[in-house]
Amino acid sequence: MNAHPDLSRRAFFTALPAVTAGLAIPAHAADEANPHWAMLVDTRRCIACQACTMACSMENVSPEGQFRTVVATYAVTDQTGKTGLSVLPRLCNHCEEPPCIPVCPVGATFKRKDGIVLVDGERCVGCAYCVQACPYDARFVNHHTGKADKCTFCSHRVEAGLLPACVETCVGGARIFGDINNPQSEISRRLVVAEGKTSVLKPEAGTTPRVFYIGLDQQLDGRVDGAATADMMWRPDTQGA
Amino acid sequence: MNTTVEVLGFAREPGWLPWAVQYFFLIGISTAAFFLSLPGLVWQHPDWRGISRRALLAALVCGLTAPVALLADLHQPGRFLNFYLHPNFYSWMAWGAFFIPLYLLGLIGYTWLCLRSQLADLAKRPSPLAGLYRKLAYGGHHNPSAIKAAALVATLGAVLVLLYTGMEVMVVQARPLWNTAFLPVIFAITALTGGIGMTALSEAVSGNRQSAPLLNQWLARGVWATLVLLAAWLVFGLVGTSTAAADALAAMAGSFGWLVTGGWLFGSTLLTLWVARNYRESLVVPALLALHGAWLVRWIVFIGGQSLPKMGSASHPYTLTLTPDSLLGIVGMAGLCLTLYIILTSLIPWDDQANA
Repeated sequence: MNAHPDLSRRAFFTALPAVTAGLAIPAHAADEANPHWAMLVDTRRCIACQACTMACSMENVSPEGQFRTVVATYAVTDQTGKTGLSVLPRLCNHCEEPPCIPVCPVGATFKRKDGIVLVDGERCVGCAYCVQACPYDARFVNHHTGKADKCTFCSHRVEAGLLPACVETCVGGARIFGDINNPQSEISRRLVVAEGKTSVLKPEAGTTPRVFYIGLDQQLDGRVDGAATADMMWRPDTQGA
Repeated sequence: MNTTVEVLGFAREPGWLPWAVQYFFLIGISTAAFFLSLPGLVWQHPDWRGISRRALLAALVCGLTAPVALLADLHQPGRFLNFYLHPNFYSWMAWGAFFIPLYLLGLIGYTWLCLRSQLADLAKRPSPLAGLYRKLAYGGHHNPSAIKAAALVATLGAVLVLLYTGMEVMVVQARPLWNTAFLPVIFAITALTGGIGMTALSEAVSGNRQSAPLLNQWLARGVWATLVLLAAWLVFGLVGTSTAAADALAAMAGSFGWLVTGGWLFGSTLLTLWVARNYRESLVVPALLALHGAWLVRWIVFIGGQSLPKMGSASHPYTLTLTPDSLLGIVGMAGLCLTLYIILTSLIPWDDQANA
């Protein structure tokens, strides 16, 4: 266990010297440095508190019941009958080969040079084709705007030299965000240290995600064969109040 | 093997609502009904002349209604302009935005050319609408060459519409129920049976029952093809030849709802085949069963396919509600079809006598 759970945050700030110079300068600095943003999720540190879910919802004003990031939580029982908690923090994977981009009929979804996959709200027609194409269920049609919505890695915060809201708020420091083009960045160093122990969701989909996981239960990296309490429970939205 | 219980899961609601089911259903049966209009109106086949007129009526009614469902699914109708201002030609949907007008303009032009001489005849009768008929007839010249040319344009449009609607869904690898090469063919064949059903219904309403054996013969062929395709998909999934089909079956495994759905689909398809083969003089029951089958396939593919989880274990079952994007939308589309049918049959006689 790291004694400094906020190390990644501090390292991120120190890696961006222009942060204190105002809002515009860090954006230029980022361009010059040619960053490629990515996230490393250390599931061993995640306690499924959903602070990230709430921070994201507040930062990005997500409609009620719609989330850009969530922490799916599982009770996993092994062959000896021992049951433990497993978690899967989920968000847009900002894939290198995003299947959401070629299907968009109006080119509203695009990948920036810094690796962030975004939706141009002015152009989006809300057809939800990208929602269908995303293998990670990361996208949804926003009830307020009627347009495609997803995690943006809080690009507006990153451009201002800040961390994504979910990273900023993570209690256990489970989310490490940074520039994988910079070998000195916290995320790059951690990825090197954890080489061979990191994984991505649905590697067979060939999307080359830029959200990496440490300690991910392979059984949870896609559709999970098992019961869901959601399927057992009363749903006021569909079954009536 | 570990066992899991998803304590906290997040299933997304369907992105494509019943509007999509209605659109794919209506545009499919419109193209099929258009194809049924060709033997009688272009090739002048005597057995098909009456059927082809009613098929053209069915093609028009469904073809003019279908895009309304598509626009409604965009949440803001004006957004369709972006399809033409910023097309991304890597997307099948973007191509669809060009194929739909090609087909509909071809269909409307073909209809006008087919009806032109009849409109001229109507203009000669004493009627408050005589002036309108005269203008619409635009001389009333019957031009078989022009009809063939317009039919060619509409045929090209119809084939492209069938192609894009199938491919658009098939290419979605994230949805295992959709990602199969069988899907475009199943959509096309069930569009054919649905088109026969809509034409047969039109025949029944207009009292032309003599076409029943011919329509039921083609319906039986279409249902046979549907059964073969469904069985092939199932076998490919069970054997594991198709990874996507196997994944879809694995996701459905153990679900009573999916068992009932599969039983309903195969059962109703077999019933349609039995009725079409054994009640060859009947029009209404086979027609309704054929329409039910075409709609059911699309409902299962779209609404059922989206309920299968991409991540985690939680499914998102869809429930019809009394809202515009749900049950009211479906009823609304049916109402629009009926309205168009009433308008078109009020303005123009579509029976055999009118054709003589």
